[in-house]
Amino acid sequence: MNKMQPTNTEYLGTTRELMNRQQLTHQRRPGMTASLLAVGVLLVGLGVSSPALAQEAEGFVTGTLPAPAPAEQVEAGKRVYFTKCVWCHGVNGSGDGPGADRLWPRPRNFNAGTFKIRHTASGELPLIDVDLLQTVTHGLPGSAMPSWEGILNEQQRKDVLAFVTTELVQDRSWQDEEFEELHILELEKLSGAAVPPSAESIKRGSELVVENKCIECHGLEGRGDGNAFNLKDDWGFSIQPADWHKCWNFRGSRQDAYNVKNIFRTFSTGINGTPMPSFADNTSIEDRWHIANYVQSLCERDKDVDIAGGQVTDEIAAELLAAKPRGIDPLTDKPKVNFVIPSKFAEGELPKDEHDPRWYDERWEKEGRRIVAIGGQITHKPRNFVNRIDDIWVQSMYNETHVTMMFRWDDRTKSIQEDEVDWDPYEVNLADYGIVEQEPGGSQFDDDTTHPDSIAAKQTSYQVFNDGLAFQMPIKFQELPAPRKPRYFWGDEGFPVDIAKWTADGNLMAYEGTGWDQDLEDRDDFTEQLTLDKAEWKDGRWTVIISRPLKADYEADTYIELGKYIPINFFVWDGHNGDVGRKMGVSAFYYLVLEPPIPSEAKWYAGLAAVGLVIVEGWILTRRSNRRKEQGAS
Amino acid sequence: MTWLKLVEGYMPMQMITELAVCILFFSICNYLLKKAGIGVPKFWAGILVWCFVNLFYLKYRIYPPIPFSVRAIYGTVSACGIFMWVSGSQEEWLEFKRPIINVLDGNNFFTKSIRTVLLLLLPIGLGAFAYNSLLPSFEEPIELRTVHPAPPATTKVHGKTYVLQTAQQPYRIDTDGKYDPAYSNAHIVDQSMGRLMKDVNSAEDNPWDPNAKGYIKHVREGGEIFFQNCHFCHGDNLNGRGLWAFAFNPIPANFTDAGTIAQLQETFVFWRVAKGGIGLPGEGFPWASVMPPWEQHLTVDEIWKVIMFEYWHTGYYPRTWD
Repeated sequence: MNKMQPTNTEYLGTTRELMNRQQLTHQRRPGMTASLLAVGVLLVGLGVSSPALAQEAEGFVTGTLPAPAPAEQVEAGKRVYFTKCVWCHGVNGSGDGPGADRLWPRPRNFNAGTFKIRHTASGELPLIDVDLLQTVTHGLPGSAMPSWEGILNEQQRKDVLAFVTTELVQDRSWQDEEFEELHILELEKLSGAAVPPSAESIKRGSELVVENKCIECHGLEGRGDGNAFNLKDDWGFSIQPADWHKCWNFRGSRQDAYNVKNIFRTFSTGINGTPMPSFADNTSIEDRWHIANYVQSLCERDKDVDIAGGQVTDEIAAELLAAKPRGIDPLTDKPKVNFVIPSKFAEGELPKDEHDPRWYDERWEKEGRRIVAIGGQITHKPRNFVNRIDDIWVQSMYNETHVTMMFRWDDRTKSIQEDEVDWDPYEVNLADYGIVEQEPGGSQFDDDTTHPDSIAAKQTSYQVFNDGLAFQMPIKFQELPAPRKPRYFWGDEGFPVDIAKWTADGNLMAYEGTGWDQDLEDRDDFTEQLTLDKAEWKDGRWTVIISRPLKADYEADTYIELGKYIPINFFVWDGHNGDVGRKMGVSAFYYLVLEPPIPSEAKWYAGLAAVGLVIVEGWILTRRSNRRKEQGAS
Repeated sequence: MTWLKLVEGYMPMQMITELAVCILFFSICNYLLKKAGIGVPKFWAGILVWCFVNLFYLKYRIYPPIPFSVRAIYGTVSACGIFMWVSGSQEEWLEFKRPIINVLDGNNFFTKSIRTVLLLLLPIGLGAFAYNSLLPSFEEPIELRTVHPAPPATTKVHGKTYVLQTAQQPYRIDTDGKYDPAYSNAHIVDQSMGRLMKDVNSAEDNPWDPNAKGYIKHVREGGEIFFQNCHFCHGDNLNGRGLWAFAFNPIPANFTDAGTIAQLQETFVFWRVAKGGIGLPGEGFPWASVMPPWEQHLTVDEIWKVIMFEYWHTGYYPRTWD
């Protein structure tokens, strides 16, 4: 194998050296890395070690290395691997299969034996029949690795792991008793004595994530917006800190997104091959539960709790505790999607910012803000294979004259275009200006992730464009012959759409769209009627509030009526991902519905039905008692 | 219920088996209780079984959820079944309706109080139900689209016209390079559980074998295209559950389902792949589908190869004219 090796294998000496190296990883802090490295090298060089380093971290027990897999099992696993896995993970298991270059996160390179989600201590090999089996069974959400349960039976899943761990993990071995040790987190036992979620625990957790400097990478509110765009994994590929508000995307969520155990495990063992260290050595088990409780409480719930930049007070902690988890769809392992976006009536002025209490009143309790799932635009060139924004949250209100929509979505980077671009904002065919899609796999620089033309280098050096958001609604939808709609992608011939597009440089523009490859048509008259009430990026999240008149010009605009299903779909751009023009995220068709007030007849009819039933009851009882009398008489 | 999964493709069998086991279990319990002298009256047993099937099993066990209208049909059918069971003979029928008559008559304090409560609660409940159903509710409108619309006679891709009835998959060839559907059909994956290749050590079965040639080599080339372009929606196992599958509506086709490519001719698939969602006729809702017109991204050869890979990987044969 002449593939690039991760740096950690170079250190592999004695177990004690391994422990030293882990200690270094644990304590890596900006500015301290160099000096710690020097001390580490010195310790290793002199053969000196402090006894504390070799000690078991709290909550771990020493395990035994597994026996080698039988040759027949490895052979059976090979059959599985070359049918199902080779397409992404590659013939040699180097994570360079045909699909690899268009995936982010990239498929795992097995060669170094570096695996992310484990019960074993930082830097160690995973447990094959626990960790790796769970990964194959449940998949790795937030990546392209699916759950193989129901496709491969358990024996087949174990077989393929036998093949991968025997043949494809090349730099380390589970049978290497000289260099390998397993220290296993006793998760089940520790969960028995877990600190239950409480307001105090959540508040304590919020303080601990600051003390442990979690927020340096994960951001003040945990949206992964710390030093977000510059992190790399052991192979030099771009990697981003987890967004704590999307627990269903945690790689280690094991199809059980809101389970606090998964967070406790990842925090205790770290994520090998990434900058995420293990905190087992410097936090007590109790503190780890507090942190896990806090992180879990941030995952999106029915209520959008403002955590004030991580300054969690008793009230905020209590609110976080009280909010209920979102329903997770077992088909997608993501929050359930509802394609109807309700707009509720607001008295007087429409809300101008996200703190307006009317966004949170009791009318939203039953069906709150809607999640809009976003996929990459992959219909027309240039396609976007990596969409870093995978959902937006939408809420809407209206009054007699206007409708407003609040969009909130997590974006780790605030991107505002700084360089001049050659095209005009209404232009859509940007191929002439060099906006192209990612080439398919087999890049000649796959081996050298530092080469400027390698995919690893490209992942972190996009030209930065504006973040953006747009939505489209059909013009004159009342006249559409059902179920005809304008095409989801900026309309089509004869079925134009009305597009409102906001970009992070502060522009909010109205366009008319007549097709995916047709330049948008500026509509200055309607642009004036659109209002940008708010556009703010804070702690890894955009809040954009746009309002527009219900009824503008019928001939050229969507004419919004109460109680009608108005097709609407959404587009979103992440400027740091190189998104511009057609390179963007898109949604399916949703429906915006302005909910009319409750009709007064409802009460009358309900009363009528009740009275009717009373009469029927009276009739039945009379009939029955008459019959009894007859029976009694005869 | 995550611990007991419904397996794709086996769901109807699983459902029937599970329900049968439950009913058997109920019968045994009923029998044992009767023997012990504390038999459950038929009235309550009937209500219990009906509630179990309709309010618990069909509502919570089956996923994706069954629409209410379908559950209403099941509810009616199972109510009829239970009525037949309780009205098998005159005595049984009398036994069944005895609790109802008792409450109606209100002979003693207990039945009298139940009667009073029911008399009050029923109108209130009906009123609340009527009020609730009169409230404006906004469910997603149901629109029915044709999944496999009638194909055109010909389709023009990259400047060349293909007649769908006569066009031929150019890569369905044996190791000598001759068109041979029987040969290729013999080397698709094993259709049994997991759909795995037949022999990983054979250059005729394993697309990744260095000596692979002819059909199986083109399968690999098709697979490479699939995993660079298609899996984002159609999924790593071709089951329509890719990364973005559920961000889109209509959801991507599940090729492992016997109702998709297994029912279609290869040239039909060629037309669908080449022209994509935007090339669908009106009944297929071309405006909603995100399926790319692949002629914009792939050559004709690449389209044929990726189609062949789909048949190889799912273990299906394309339908033919004869």
